[in-house]
Amino acid sequence: MSPDRLGAAAQTRGLGHGVPVGRARARRVRSPGGTEERVELAELGERVPGEAGTGRVPSAPGGTGQGGRPEAGSPAVSGWGAPARYEARSVTKSFNGAIVLDDVSVTLEPHEVHTLVGENGAGKSTLFKILSGLYTPDSGRLELGGETLGDLTPRSALGLGIYLVPQEPKLMAHLSAAENLYVGILPRRRVRLLVNWRQVHREAATYFERVGLQIDPATPAREMSIAQQQLLECARALVHRCRVILFDEPTSPLTTHETEILFGLMRQLRDAGLAIGFISHRLDEVLEVSDRVEVLRDGRLVASLRRGEATRDGLVSAMIGREIGVRTRVRRTSDVTERREVLRVESLTSEPIFRDVSFALESHEVVGVAGLVGSGRTEIAEAIFGLRAADSGRVAIDGRVLERRSPRACIEAGLVYLPEDRARHGIFSEVEITRNVTAGTIPRLPRRWGLIRQREEQELAAASAARTSVRMQSLEVAIATLSGGNQQRAMFSRWLLAEPRVAILDEPTRGVDIGAKDDIYDIISDLAASGLACLIISSELEELCLTCDRVLVVYEGAIVGELRGEEITAARLGELVVGGSSS
Amino acid sequence: MAALLSAPPAQRRSRTATSSERRRDRIWVMALAVVLGVEILYFSIAVSGFFGGGSGLLSLTEQFLDVGVIALGEAAVILAGEIDLSAGTMSSLSGITMAVLWRQGMEIWVAVLVALAISGAIGLLNGLIITVFKVDSLLVTLASQFILGAVATALGGGSPPYGFPGSFVSIAGTGTVGPVPDQLIVFAVLAAGVAIAIGRTRMGRSLALIGYNRPAARWSGIRVDRTVVGAFVASAFMAGISGILVSGLYNAARNDIGDSLLLPAITVVVLGGVDIFGGRGRISGVIIATFVLGFLTEGMLVAGDSSLSATMVTGILLIVCLVFKIGLERRGGSDVLGAVRRRAERLRHLGPGAGAPPAVGDELP
Amino acid sequence: MSAVAGSLTSRRTFLPTRALWARLVRLRELQLLLAMAVVVAVSAVLHPDFVSSSNVSFMLADSSVTATLAIGQTLVILGKGIDLSVAPILGIAAIVVGFPAQNHGLPLAVALVIVMGVGIVLGVGNGILVSWARIPPIITTLATLSVYGGLQFIIANGQEVVNIPNFYDTFGNSDLVPGVPWALLAAVGLALVVWLFLRQTNLGRSIYAVGNDADAAHRSGIPVQRIIFLTYVLCGFLAGIAGLIYLCHTGSADSTTGTDSNVELTSIAATLIGGTTLTGGRGGVIGSVLGAIFLSIALTAMVFARIPPIWEPAGVGGLILLAMVTDRHSGNLGSGGPRRVGRRH
Repeated sequence: MSPDRLGAAAQTRGLGHGVPVGRARARRVRSPGGTEERVELAELGERVPGEAGTGRVPSAPGGTGQGGRPEAGSPAVSGWGAPARYEARSVTKSFNGAIVLDDVSVTLEPHEVHTLVGENGAGKSTLFKILSGLYTPDSGRLELGGETLGDLTPRSALGLGIYLVPQEPKLMAHLSAAENLYVGILPRRRVRLLVNWRQVHREAATYFERVGLQIDPATPAREMSIAQQQLLECARALVHRCRVILFDEPTSPLTTHETEILFGLMRQLRDAGLAIGFISHRLDEVLEVSDRVEVLRDGRLVASLRRGEATRDGLVSAMIGREIGVRTRVRRTSDVTERREVLRVESLTSEPIFRDVSFALESHEVVGVAGLVGSGRTEIAEAIFGLRAADSGRVAIDGRVLERRSPRACIEAGLVYLPEDRARHGIFSEVEITRNVTAGTIPRLPRRWGLIRQREEQELAAASAARTSVRMQSLEVAIATLSGGNQQRAMFSRWLLAEPRVAILDEPTRGVDIGAKDDIYDIISDLAASGLACLIISSELEELCLTCDRVLVVYEGAIVGELRGEEITAARLGELVVGGSSS
Repeated sequence: MAALLSAPPAQRRSRTATSSERRRDRIWVMALAVVLGVEILYFSIAVSGFFGGGSGLLSLTEQFLDVGVIALGEAAVILAGEIDLSAGTMSSLSGITMAVLWRQGMEIWVAVLVALAISGAIGLLNGLIITVFKVDSLLVTLASQFILGAVATALGGGSPPYGFPGSFVSIAGTGTVGPVPDQLIVFAVLAAGVAIAIGRTRMGRSLALIGYNRPAARWSGIRVDRTVVGAFVASAFMAGISGILVSGLYNAARNDIGDSLLLPAITVVVLGGVDIFGGRGRISGVIIATFVLGFLTEGMLVAGDSSLSATMVTGILLIVCLVFKIGLERRGGSDVLGAVRRRAERLRHLGPGAGAPPAVGDELP
Repeated sequence: MSAVAGSLTSRRTFLPTRALWARLVRLRELQLLLAMAVVVAVSAVLHPDFVSSSNVSFMLADSSVTATLAIGQTLVILGKGIDLSVAPILGIAAIVVGFPAQNHGLPLAVALVIVMGVGIVLGVGNGILVSWARIPPIITTLATLSVYGGLQFIIANGQEVVNIPNFYDTFGNSDLVPGVPWALLAAVGLALVVWLFLRQTNLGRSIYAVGNDADAAHRSGIPVQRIIFLTYVLCGFLAGIAGLIYLCHTGSADSTTGTDSNVELTSIAATLIGGTTLTGGRGGVIGSVLGAIFLSIALTAMVFARIPPIWEPAGVGGLILLAMVTDRHSGNLGSGGPRRVGRRH
């Protein structure tokens, strides 16, 4: 619906006054039938006074000026719009000629958790972004409760009660939690315009309580943990009285416990009649929480399963389009005789994050680091690589102590670091593959009279990319055109050029398709076989079990245990990472 | 050794498939060249005294090459994702320093070298403050712009020096080799040097990567701070050279001569296709843009327009170019009409990134 | 916080940061008042004339132009933008009303309406280019600085405003009570309105939200581009008013008014000194007004200390650097290392 029409509609209803940003206009014409009713959310324990929640009713003369928000003075209320089915019909979307979604239709039913699975690049996130108005589809249409929606923007989607909780919560760092919750729709005083801050904080506290977020509403968002931020995003959906909430991989940054809290909330919302959309890579939790699972592959819907019909193996083969064999653990350590120490870390400390970290790595060895997000595992790696200042401690590579550690010095000494966040710290997305591959070894590029010899550089990059079998159209295309798995291979080839002795691999399979994960494991084991020592940091305990000869467990900034060989099981690791005893 | 580390199979280079980014940059530079040609043609026909049998055209370049020299240095800073607002007053300060030292009895060429060394040192200071304190370069160079301007004014005093030795004026100022002004030769040498330094050296490579993604550059072992400081030194040094050239051209030092050079210099850099957020850009574009803007301004002046209306047209040109360019990029380098149509469509959305390419890396095959 | 950065217990800890946060916000205003007190005290001891009512009045009236510009600049910078074109907007506003005032005794109220209109129109120009054409703010306003400068030149047509009616002069140069000039009161009044707007309205809060993180704001349903557009319009509006104050205060206007004295840079300086950060989303107008007053006091103190006026720009530059350093010390910029605010580790 065009803004003009919205405005006209609001005018005719005589409600277009006193509303600053025009949100109310969008909200008021939301239900053309005017037949909405509220659904109380008894499970979430709110008390709803008689007149509260009138915002959803098109003509609410008493509650004007608030844009359908809780009235001043009323306690936090939650009226939901009528449960509505949300449908995407034949949606197609392409970016720069590449088709990402091809004629996809999905239906999100109220009272259901509806899950999308698929490999990276299958189009899941794109579909959610279309459903929430962040992208406009090239063709196809969206229907909410039988009504066809016009051009959807995040703003109008929110007005209709559709909200996307993003993969990585993004809050406004310097604003308080309460303000982040209400941003754009802060409740106002009886005197028009002015924000009632006391009410903001009071009501924010009730919303936080309902989603299980224990936090002072005045805390600035930048001081909140990722889990807290995610819960705040959920609370925001409640504030906007959403009928459809979409969760895009919400669990990937969460611990098991936090995931359980989130699932509890999702179930409550579902039982209250909301349509819940969910994306996850973790098939166990998909099976646990979903009422319906649909599988996307290469932008097409390939399977649609109800609870009970879906099995792990079935999903996996639907996702990758073939059967995959079960991978078995590969151990090499036993058959290698000449091993020597290549990395020694002694009493590395950086208060308050980690302290007294000591360990050593030998050549041919693959050592895992297990720990919760926030346990200090990534910080330890960053400190070793010189990205983060350490208070004390020493790091020796190949027997030589590095006095002043910097990434450059480490690379020269033979230590490389594959970062966890590839998009931010790894690739230069708009730059050609060649330059991405050679970026770690610029000082060693072949030169004549100080000028880089580009042809030789390209040959070097080509050779290195071939070693990790990067699949690409050409070395001259931007690396962003590659899939996640191929980008990661390119990152490996960057570091192969540096001829390292030790590689720290932080979440090496993050953002990599299931089908491509095995290839990354193969690369790692080939590297180890050739003598490289690998330190793998991973949240996926299965992954550590598969690849490592030895696993160090980090808990609250200290190494609390070490498992070797057959001792390494997901169950033992799971106990240790939460502080369980190692005996 | 495992198979992985040995015997790389030959990867065939594909000469045809280049990144669309690069292709767009190339289109931009070519478009600029066409604009330059049309512009020269137009003024030569429409404005008498502009072409002047070719030599008139060449001697006009003296009037704007100082802007080009500053732009070369500014381009390095902008490529790294920073900005140097102090380049204009740096240029004044360098001219004044050189002139004052010469008046105090120093050999003119020695004075030039000292002035350039001081310029470089000030650039170093700018860069160090920015990298050590991790503060915004906009802020730091805004401050140093004020300070350098005041120092230049104080040094120059009421009557800044003028009347330099003939040898200096002829080489740095108004001299010619045949019909070609010395300044054009100096500019050509500097431009070639900067183009090669940015395009082919390790420093230049690092600079662009830093501009594209600073954290990734740091994680890759690139010495980010050092490179950024280098860019600021280069910028101040080029600004210093331009100050000397201007002093030579007018045969006098003026303490406010550089103030008016900053804005055109940044215009030239942006017009030349350098991404204001860093990373992308070509020095060749900056060089051509110098002439596009310079001839435009001079053409208007020769035609009798005031310098302020020439400046105004400069601003309009910058805006039109950017609207066009940003539209072009959103559309993937083709179908400009489509870009306009989609832009109109998007007007109703008005959200950030609504027209930007998708966050690639996840959803693209 | 305890050493255990990641454990569930510590994550769920209540952080009593509200008081601390509020303190940090207010800190810059306090710092400025303290600095002003020191400068005034020292100058007064050395030169008693410094605190004479005529000098105080002069300093404050002088700062009112910068203060008004800085209010607008603050709005734009809070939204993560910057506006270099305020100088010619001020200049155009001043000459547009200056000629009819000089020749026909244009009433002040009409003049006010005209400068507001001029400011809004020119601000709309900036707003369209930044929010619709998506040209980076610094480039946009650099360009409009040239364009509007040329426009000012054309409008002035080589003439100058030299005589303004008495009532203009009265507004620009007389005091309500000795030492409190009308011009400053106007600026302070505007600042209070804008302060209320920024603090107490959804629209004002949206500016902070956009400056903090435009993407997050977009997802939260805030019409980001419209908010950005609005900041430029308001900035132009305020620059127009500043033009009128300038005209009344100095009694003159010509084709280079505003641009010749680099008021765009002093307005940015006042804003930054006032504690608003270029990264957007933090700061406020009260600080900016105090920053403008402080700037004026400090520069006058330099004159009293017999430092030649040519060093004035250096004083402004030094103050910007000082503002930067003190900002670091109040811990706002964090400590070295990779900053990953709000992200997990």
